[in-house]
Amino acid sequence: MSDIPKATGFTRVLRASRGRSYPRIIGLLRERSWVFYDTVLPLLGTIAFVYVYKALGAPDRFVGYVIMGGAAMGFWMNVMWSMAAQFYWDKQGGNLELYLVSPCGLVPILLGMSVGGFANTLMRTVAIVLVGSVLFHVTYVIHQLPVFIAVFAVGIIALYGLGVTFASLFLLWGREAWHMANLLMEPVFLGTGFYFPVRALGFWVALGTSIIPLTLALDALRQLLFPETHPALLPVRIELAILGGLAVLFVFTARFSLRKMEFLARREGRLSLRF
Amino acid sequence: MLVSSRASQPLSGARHWWRTLRVAYWLGWQIESNWTDPFLFFVYSIARPLGSVLILVFMYYVVARAAAAAMLGFFVVGTACWPFVVQGMMGTAWSLISDREHWKTLRYIYTSPIPFRAYLIGRALAQLTTAVSAAAVTLVVGRWVLGAPLRVATIHFTYSLVAFALGIASVLALGLMVVSAAFLISGEAWRMPEGVGAALYLLCGAVFPVSVLPPILRTLAQGVPLTWWLEAMRRGLLPPGGVASFPQLTDGQVLGWLAVLAAVWMVLAWTVFTLAERRARNRGVLDRESAF
Repeated sequence: MSDIPKATGFTRVLRASRGRSYPRIIGLLRERSWVFYDTVLPLLGTIAFVYVYKALGAPDRFVGYVIMGGAAMGFWMNVMWSMAAQFYWDKQGGNLELYLVSPCGLVPILLGMSVGGFANTLMRTVAIVLVGSVLFHVTYVIHQLPVFIAVFAVGIIALYGLGVTFASLFLLWGREAWHMANLLMEPVFLGTGFYFPVRALGFWVALGTSIIPLTLALDALRQLLFPETHPALLPVRIELAILGGLAVLFVFTARFSLRKMEFLARREGRLSLRF
Repeated sequence: MLVSSRASQPLSGARHWWRTLRVAYWLGWQIESNWTDPFLFFVYSIARPLGSVLILVFMYYVVARAAAAAMLGFFVVGTACWPFVVQGMMGTAWSLISDREHWKTLRYIYTSPIPFRAYLIGRALAQLTTAVSAAAVTLVVGRWVLGAPLRVATIHFTYSLVAFALGIASVLALGLMVVSAAFLISGEAWRMPEGVGAALYLLCGAVFPVSVLPPILRTLAQGVPLTWWLEAMRRGLLPPGGVASFPQLTDGQVLGWLAVLAAVWMVLAWTVFTLAERRARNRGVLDRESAF
């Protein structure tokens, strides 16, 4: 008889999620080199774009735009590499099979990955914003703090929902997963307006790229930080409502897609396909 | 029987190098490209650099709609050249790391009777080939869609070709340096080439003139051949009088500095590689796996 107490239902989900988030949160402190790379790499890219604006003679608020873009980049990279492509790494390491034969299923695993990944990335993002702001003397005044927090929270839920949806799609793939995650970097930085107001893309194009939650989240946060100068795509409250809709949509899509793709991956024998 | 005895004859040094280089190039090309169909591979190759150049273009238009097009040309040439650095330098390191950690073939390749440097350079050249389409499409889009001043009449072809060749040699030298570091580290090896690439992107004036950097970074930038390569490529491809990292120097001086630094870095890379390889063997970490 096992000494491990049986867990069922919601308790099982919570325990499995906690178990999966544990290495990500503890890794934040334990793997020093990851802290260095995850903080310094986005910071170097961010600084390069700050210098682009300096070379163009742009007003100081654009430096703030770039630092926010650098912070958002941390979340996007976490979602693509540590959520979407994670099952690809897990295939390589042999963990995916273990997840599938465990009694909890994949949903709590992904939930744990999201929570752990978010906590981990949040710390690094704060570091990027702090260091970037100190280096380039940027100050922020947050207007309507509760709305700011709501936009951030809803945006993150929608973003990680998208990450789980991608994870399920990538479940079918081998090497393609790595390449697709790689592909969805600069084109997404462009479409979501990481380094410039997304309105510059044109209203309809920007509305189209709003399917990626970061677009509206960044635009709304910039409106709250630079209310007089930022060319808004939509009013903040409408953007918040759309983000809420995206969060619900992606959470349900993720759940449906995960079941469908897991079934397909099992049927086509791709769950243990490493290369 | 005849074939077998001929195949077993040892090849001379240069022929052995050439054959290894050719086979490594073919292998590298297969690894890079055969995961999908040619069309998707082409889209994949051009999407990132095009995304990069368009980010810069939108940044430019947000700030300076009516300003001169000089900075636009600067962005386009820098972004067109950068995939060669990403693929040639970072890709070479990833080739070694993936052979070691992912495919787990490094020990077999290393112990086979081939010159290992030729193998790595062959893999690097395959990576560099994947950057050609990205560079070409970026230049074409830059000229015909964005209106950058890239005109056949003002392109200095000989200068550009010499600068390009020296730049590729510099990229290979940097690739060997990064591979040397990858020999000796394991846990962080996947991230290290990316870190070096990000640092070079900031330092070498890929998307802005190095003259806007603080003095200490500007001095560091002058010691890296890529800074001079990007400057020389801009001088070769764009009309005179544009934005430059070293406006006080003539075209010949820029090419001269590039040649000197490329030679210095190649010798340095060769030496560092030899030392790192020896140290990795002595410590028994040449094929140490850690990622999986």
